[in-house]
Amino acid sequence: MSDGSPSSSDGKIPLLKVEGLTQDFATVDGRVRVLQNISMQIERGEIVGIVGESGSGKSTLGLAIIGLLDSPPSEILSGSILFDGRDMLKLDAGGLSHFRGPGIGMVFQESLAALNPVYKTESQLKESIEVLRKAQRLELTDSAERDMMLEILSDLRLDKPEVVLKKYPHELSGGMRQRISIAMAIIEKPRLLILDEVTTGLDVYVQNRILGLLKELNRRTGTTMILITHDLTVASQICNTLYVMYAGRLMEEGRTEDLIKAPQHPYSQKLMAAIPQGFADAPALPAPTGEAPDIRKLPSGCKFHPRCHMVMEKCETEEPPYIETSPGRRSSCWLAQKT
Amino acid sequence: MSSIVDVENLTVTFRARGGGGFLFERGKNTINAVEDATFHVKDGETFGLAGETGSGKSTIARVLVGLYRPRAGIIKLLGREINFRNKSDIAYLRRNVGIVFQDPVGSLNPRLKVREILKEALIAAKAFDKREFQRRTEEILEKVGLRKSSIEAYPRELSGGEKQRVSLARSLIVPKKLLVLDEPTSSLDVSIQAQVLNTLRTLKSELALSYLFITHDINVIKYMSNTLGILYYGKLVEVGPTYDVVMTPKHPYTGKLMANVLKLERAEHEQEVLADLGPSATGCIYSKVCPQKFEKCTDPPPMFNVGPRQFAACHLYENSKALH
Repeated sequence: MSDGSPSSSDGKIPLLKVEGLTQDFATVDGRVRVLQNISMQIERGEIVGIVGESGSGKSTLGLAIIGLLDSPPSEILSGSILFDGRDMLKLDAGGLSHFRGPGIGMVFQESLAALNPVYKTESQLKESIEVLRKAQRLELTDSAERDMMLEILSDLRLDKPEVVLKKYPHELSGGMRQRISIAMAIIEKPRLLILDEVTTGLDVYVQNRILGLLKELNRRTGTTMILITHDLTVASQICNTLYVMYAGRLMEEGRTEDLIKAPQHPYSQKLMAAIPQGFADAPALPAPTGEAPDIRKLPSGCKFHPRCHMVMEKCETEEPPYIETSPGRRSSCWLAQKT
Repeated sequence: MSSIVDVENLTVTFRARGGGGFLFERGKNTINAVEDATFHVKDGETFGLAGETGSGKSTIARVLVGLYRPRAGIIKLLGREINFRNKSDIAYLRRNVGIVFQDPVGSLNPRLKVREILKEALIAAKAFDKREFQRRTEEILEKVGLRKSSIEAYPRELSGGEKQRVSLARSLIVPKKLLVLDEPTSSLDVSIQAQVLNTLRTLKSELALSYLFITHDINVIKYMSNTLGILYYGKLVEVGPTYDVVMTPKHPYTGKLMANVLKLERAEHEQEVLADLGPSATGCIYSKVCPQKFEKCTDPPPMFNVGPRQFAACHLYENSKALH
């Protein structure tokens, strides 16, 4: 594990604790609530999944945690983000950048946009090493830096790492670029790694390979990870805990096995039902109807009620609270709370 | 069952820029994007083509709508052989074969309203009739699951799923025999993907269509196709009834692909993660990676009949009957 963090940890407090986070964006159409009362706790060494459709606020939450949302236009109304016991929201820009990289790292979905098109892999990775070097006040010779790069690329199972170092992003395949983005983040030895849709659009085989590598990295270095994805299948592969998001809210959370075996929220149930099962003779997929709501025009009551197959009268007027339904599980549904 | 499309020994070659790319490098400065592929799409069925990026799936799709010209091989549509240098043959191909591409943003003109996008399709097919236009558009929009009001929308005002439905409507407003679906749901959320897949299945029976469904997502292709072909770097390595190819894969590559399908459960990921080695320049195209490689594999294998209607290009089955 890295010791690049500014504060020493006693291991008892969770690595990340988000409490009651509520955040607005100022837009031309007025203020929009993008995150509503988000609370989550991530223990050291855990891999946590945040799952939801496009527009559910899952990427916004990731960006909020790493402190990449400019204010204005974004404004945090209430809540706190405690990283290793320190309130990130009380830090100024300088203090925050101290946390990025060796503290919290992030890998974005679009590897082509995340990489500088006029940099070869080598220069790209050098930037990350520079961050690590400054944070840990390391003295590194050129050959030591090169060895570090080669090691990380072969750790990520890139064939002929010395050739890859000399390539520009456009000369690499999507899977290779995605792995370079991951390399850039992990070379800084972050204690928390946020991965935003890192396997989306990649081949099954490459997808599986990247998930395997992340799991291995987690096991070897104890790096804590947040995996953001719309695909429950992907999240279920490597995550210990899952959070399901909808319309900027948490809908359900639980241990991966429990949630998949018995999803409590009708939304989670529908997300699972959308995954193609069986062969051509299988019946139509009982997918959720309609699309995720426009966050500027959210319905009253439970935000999922217009698409819910189990909707009751109460759901149209009253939003259910997000509460514990059984040990380690919380959900926001009137049905789960009756039992 | 009669064939809608017969593809026989299709080879598509591209000229490589500069000294040479590192994919499909077989011979100097040319790249075989597809090599010697043979398959048939039967009337009323969905033929699935699965493979990784760069396997030639999209190249085959583009040949079938006349966007690329084959270097060798025969393409027959409803029994009629297509001469790709003959304009009227290309027109015949496009009249009967529609296509939906993966990228819903890039495939719709951002400056045209849905109404104009559909009108263009009719004009291109010389089937535009002013009096019938309104009825025809309303009918097709309803069929693909779009609101009537979306006819006045620009693509940017529509969601990803809705854009793909517009692409579908554009293809089908002139009735087609075959619809080529090139990764039609890969850019969509799982929930929206499910809705589009449901629509595609309904449309197929309502409009008596056949599909060529292309994707790298095995869960999707398994759910959609009756017959499945597996491509590896331009080579069709296995083809057969979907159930058999998925449940009892014969080619080592197919086996590996199926073992990598993600299921809704915690994976152990104990299997070794191998580096990308790419295709072999000589002999069997999979021989560089194949764990079951033996002496014979230095020769390119023919297609062997390995089960009822199931074929695999692998020397492990040399005792089975060779196809050609």
